[in-house]
Amino acid sequence: MKKKKELKISRRTVMKGALAAGAMMSAGSIPSKLFAGEFNIPDPLKPLPTTGGNMRWIDSGDMKGVFWKKLFPEYAASRGITIEYDGLPWKEINKIVPIAIRNGTVHDVFQLPIGMDPGVAVSEGWVQPWDDYIENIDEWLGAFPSGVYLPGVNQFNGKTYGTCLTANKRTGTCLLYSEKYMSEAGYDPQAGRMTYSEIRDAAKKITKNGNGQYYGWIIGGNQVNRWEDVVHTFGQVGGAHSGRGGFTNRHINFQNGKFQIASDQYMEAVELLLQLKSDGSAFPGVMSMNAPQARALMPQGAAGMIFQGPWCIGVWGRDAPDWKYGIASEPVPDGKEAQPLYIAEGGSNTFWLSANSTMGPFAGDLIRFMGTEQGQIYWAQTVGAADPAVNPDAVAKAGLTGPSAQALSMFAENILVGPNPIVRNKDVGIVAAKSRVPDPSLALVIQGLYTGQLKGVEAQLKDCNQRYEDALDKAVEEARADGANVTRDDWVFPNWDVYSNYGAEKYQEL
Amino acid sequence: MHKKPLSKQIYDARWCYLFVLPCSILTGMFVIYPIGMSWYFSLLDWSGFTKEAKFIGLQNYYEAVNDEFFWDAFIRSFIFMFGTVPVKIVLGFIIAVFLNNQVLKLAPFFRTVIFMPVVTAIAIIGIVMTFVFSPFNGPANKFLMSTNLTSAPIDFLGNPDTVLPTVMGVYVWKWLGITMMYWLAALQTVPQDVYDAAKIDGAEGYRLWVHIILPIVLPFAIVIILVEAVGALNVFPLIETMTAGGPFFSSEVMEIYIFRTAFVTDSGTMPRLGYACAAGVFWGVAVLFITVLQGLWMRRTRRI
Repeated sequence: MKKKKELKISRRTVMKGALAAGAMMSAGSIPSKLFAGEFNIPDPLKPLPTTGGNMRWIDSGDMKGVFWKKLFPEYAASRGITIEYDGLPWKEINKIVPIAIRNGTVHDVFQLPIGMDPGVAVSEGWVQPWDDYIENIDEWLGAFPSGVYLPGVNQFNGKTYGTCLTANKRTGTCLLYSEKYMSEAGYDPQAGRMTYSEIRDAAKKITKNGNGQYYGWIIGGNQVNRWEDVVHTFGQVGGAHSGRGGFTNRHINFQNGKFQIASDQYMEAVELLLQLKSDGSAFPGVMSMNAPQARALMPQGAAGMIFQGPWCIGVWGRDAPDWKYGIASEPVPDGKEAQPLYIAEGGSNTFWLSANSTMGPFAGDLIRFMGTEQGQIYWAQTVGAADPAVNPDAVAKAGLTGPSAQALSMFAENILVGPNPIVRNKDVGIVAAKSRVPDPSLALVIQGLYTGQLKGVEAQLKDCNQRYEDALDKAVEEARADGANVTRDDWVFPNWDVYSNYGAEKYQEL
Repeated sequence: MHKKPLSKQIYDARWCYLFVLPCSILTGMFVIYPIGMSWYFSLLDWSGFTKEAKFIGLQNYYEAVNDEFFWDAFIRSFIFMFGTVPVKIVLGFIIAVFLNNQVLKLAPFFRTVIFMPVVTAIAIIGIVMTFVFSPFNGPANKFLMSTNLTSAPIDFLGNPDTVLPTVMGVYVWKWLGITMMYWLAALQTVPQDVYDAAKIDGAEGYRLWVHIILPIVLPFAIVIILVEAVGALNVFPLIETMTAGGPFFSSEVMEIYIFRTAFVTDSGTMPRLGYACAAGVFWGVAVLFITVLQGLWMRRTRRI
């Protein structure tokens, strides 16, 4: 039996990462104006229209919004246009973008709603390729790490329809904690990855110390995806090897092509959440707050721990600069070694250009600039680990320190590239378009278990797993009926070594 | 007598038709056409975004009536209606009786105060109420804790047992002013000489209200109940902003259910406009049925 490799982040590892980043910064050529409220925006490679205009841009905001709000005014002034930016939570993107697509008023540059298959966007004619607007696009694409731009993911019919400026190598469920409360509870997450028992004990002690003024743990419980994110990632850390992304990747173990929802690791993760509640360690209002609200309560001293993403770093740095907090990897089940997390190939925050847009030359010019090393450095310096820049050299030169550097170091160590069925067979995209997450979804099942409206973790997760299996079977069947050449075997990757990246050569072996 | 041909009749009444035309066009565009299209869409397997839409007959209806979440939302909508309308009707009436008393000099002030939530944007109220009922530093919980009514904060909007009553309470508060105004309008139709005659005959207090005033305003009551009942079945903005139907569907009424399936799948797959239309049509027919029943009741009462 193959020995499991342990993934542990220690203080020493983190320090090494931070030092390495610092060394690279001092060794590399650092632009003179890294971030001083000014950007060195280069002239366009070819003349842009002089007619001006208003470019509308929508994305999921957070730290991206912070960056765009600094860059856009300068860029717009330099090109003689105006830019209207809407940074909205995903929940709003999921509502607004589809309706805007439907009535033909979608922004010039937008992000597709979560789970919407890009292939559908292309085939339906909602988007246009960037090729005509990004000068020397082949050369520009060549500067990105391999695996960011892929046919079937963001390239279709030989053209690039989606542009990615950020990497997807991150998790949204890191352990973020109050240094003071955790220290008073007698724990130091920097000493090594905490176990479930330790998390539970720490939460109990923090709650006891809080004496009704603060609690051990908090979560934005009415934002249902948070429940699923925590259980999914914790399950992976516990050893339920599975993919990440949309319905056709998430929770699927690519060794056998089956959903992992009823695995022991998922059950343990759900049990941990229920125990935090039954211990009285959970903040009392978690079911009536969303993730940003829960995040905002942390610096106010309402709770000691939250499982959230690196996007908290920038927000807390801005809103509560004096508050001391730490970031650490997700906890591991007792007696187990932490296992890798997986991402699919490709980048994140893919930007699409509306088919109706007349601002393509400006959007392409801006995206091209942001893909250069200079643009990526600017990005990394503001956005940090929240949405890591896709160019690793630029990240190194950005001179990140503190929690951002630590988070990036953690992600580099914990996350591997896993298989992606759509890279293997583009017809999987047709399945994605046909698929419907069954009601109640895993996220809602966990929420229902937490509120006590559903009983029996094992029975509920088994039912849920079966629903997911049936839903994927049905989607495959419908796709095949429409002529797609796809079977459930497309989700089985027998050559997947769960301890190494799954690259192009692995696909060729299949 | 020789009857004029239809064309001649229309020509003679051409000005009437001309004046009706703008309203007919607008009604057609914004009422008839959407209703007709929703009936048509309900027969399709269609996300609402793609060109591909497959005709599947009544399959969406079959799926809806076999979906436990559909029926839960359906029943919850009526729970909401039966839980709020009687409270609003009775409270609105009591307040209107007090404020209809011309001796009460501050009546206009109180009327304004009670009516104020009606003119406040409902989405704003929904968001503000999430803070009011927050277990962490929310004024409602602060009050309960400071008066020792509870020892621990109550998660009003996060507890499946309290979420619907809380939203219902906010709904009653928000719209109580309009019910009060309906009642005031009804009460002001009672002529002063009726009061005077009743007093001369020795009918006061309970007897005056039950035997004289109530029979006069009863036809109004039926209209008010009808308007209130239909209103209580249309509570999308308040629930969407306060709970979005959660936790775990505890406050999901039909409109939220339809919205969720038509536009927002939190789980991140394509929405189902065809299915949502089927649920909407089913729901619309149910509401229409109730409205017709109430209409018949009103007609019968008027006859009495």
